[in-house]
Amino acid sequence: MPPESATLDGDAAAAVAGLDALDTPTENRRPWWRKAIATGLPPLVALVLALAIWQALWASAIVPEFKVPAPAAVWDSFASRLATGEIWSILWTSISRAFLGFAIALVIATPLGLLVAKVRVVRAAIGPLLSGLQSLPSVAWVPAAILWFGLTDATIYFVVLLGSVPSIANGLVSGIDQIPPILPRVGQVLGARGLTSARHVLLPAALPGYLAGCKQGWAFSWRSLMAAEIIAAGPLLGVGLGAYLKQGSDYNDISAVFAAIVLILVVGIGIELLVFRPIERRILRARGLALGV
Amino acid sequence: MTVLTDTSIVRRARIEPAVTLDGVSKTFGTGSAAVTALRGIDLQVQPGEFVCLLGASGCGKSTLLNLVAGLDAPTSGTVSVTTSRPSFMFQEAALLPWLTAGRNVELPLRLAGQSRGARKRRAEELLELVRLDGLGSKRPHELSGGMRQRVSLARALAAATGEEDSSGLLLMDEPFAALDAITRDVLQGELLRVWEATGTTILFVTHDVREAVRLAQRVVLLSSRPGTVVGEWDVSGGGEELHDDITGRLRQVITSHAA
Repeated sequence: MPPESATLDGDAAAAVAGLDALDTPTENRRPWWRKAIATGLPPLVALVLALAIWQALWASAIVPEFKVPAPAAVWDSFASRLATGEIWSILWTSISRAFLGFAIALVIATPLGLLVAKVRVVRAAIGPLLSGLQSLPSVAWVPAAILWFGLTDATIYFVVLLGSVPSIANGLVSGIDQIPPILPRVGQVLGARGLTSARHVLLPAALPGYLAGCKQGWAFSWRSLMAAEIIAAGPLLGVGLGAYLKQGSDYNDISAVFAAIVLILVVGIGIELLVFRPIERRILRARGLALGV
Repeated sequence: MTVLTDTSIVRRARIEPAVTLDGVSKTFGTGSAAVTALRGIDLQVQPGEFVCLLGASGCGKSTLLNLVAGLDAPTSGTVSVTTSRPSFMFQEAALLPWLTAGRNVELPLRLAGQSRGARKRRAEELLELVRLDGLGSKRPHELSGGMRQRVSLARALAAATGEEDSSGLLLMDEPFAALDAITRDVLQGELLRVWEATGTTILFVTHDVREAVRLAQRVVLLSSRPGTVVGEWDVSGGGEELHDDITGRLRQVITSHAA
């Protein structure tokens, strides 16, 4: 740098620095306890309200007790299973099935989604079918699956896969479809071709849509699993949450039915909060999305 | 890696031009629906030269850059580029939103197969060049529009100068058009400084006469539909007079389409 231009350059540097300071987006940080109250309190209040309404409904005795049990009776039913430890085996049976089914679904749906998104013939051939399968309740497959596989785990996994694979694959397809066209172009001018482009540009860019598909795929696989467990019961299948619910219904034990429903709900919400929410936040925040949530 | 210390500006000697377009035409579509975007373009850009392509909408400026970048092939004529693979800068910064600023700059080096240490060093060097030292770990959404466009410039330079002993070719497609006037003014100055520091060849597309006159050594005016070269000006100490001259000619080109 020649000396006479040094001061000029200093001016330019100051101008740039000043502009950067003025233009940089500001972020406001809230203390953690405020965030905790803001996210924790509303659902807690809603839960208490729901319990209160339930209790009031039971106390009013408009509906006979064998139809609507008291919250305390449901708790007792749950607590008795907890005391014998039976609840853990019930939960484990269902959750392990759901996880294994979901993992298999991921392995099948990811390449399938890539193919549908990027190969025109494949999209034309099975794209509509994939979307259609999403609206077909997977419980509709249970009778067929029982005829094919009998009352075995294969029946359960078949139904779970048909429930979740279309969601995950469709999520990936829409994730890829929604990539701003400038990004693949940037990849191209920076020297990315074919698989490198997929790895460095397409897949990371499609990740939010893919994750949304996975979330929905998980919900569908959990729902399908419960439906399959309720309908298909047999000695080979063990007792999962669905079978537990069915037993309650068979024995006219409304407290057990309610306990099973609440447990199914709690597992669904728990997986969402403990697994998907943190991953989703990380992925979206890194991209400057959903910062207010 | 001599790029940062090389302060020689223009070598207009009889060396091979960095870019040569010879009778280049480009037609999209066929038959009655065919649209001729460019017709009979002859253009040479010397190594280290800063050339502005000026024209109204529909003059095929972007088509021309795509041809030079090799993203598209001419219908007739030849395009030859003697530098390493040209790199591109768009109107949007187009940073990959899941990578930090530093990683964005590193990406072309990574794709070229450079080692982690080398590309990290180079990215830091380039970020310093665009006055963003220390901000390599920021995400694009944490930066202002002007800062993002400077990261994009650093990334384009990384792509253009990826190979040793190559000062590269930078194709810029209205890179400052989406910025506010103050930021644009500052960035124009920054681009000139970076160009002088690196000796990169720049082909810059704009529809802003003032910008063209301020930045370029040579301004090439294109007509619209089809795009042809209608005038060329050497910008050495031109100033207002030259600006008015070019504006007048541009107006002529535009009014000829009114009929």
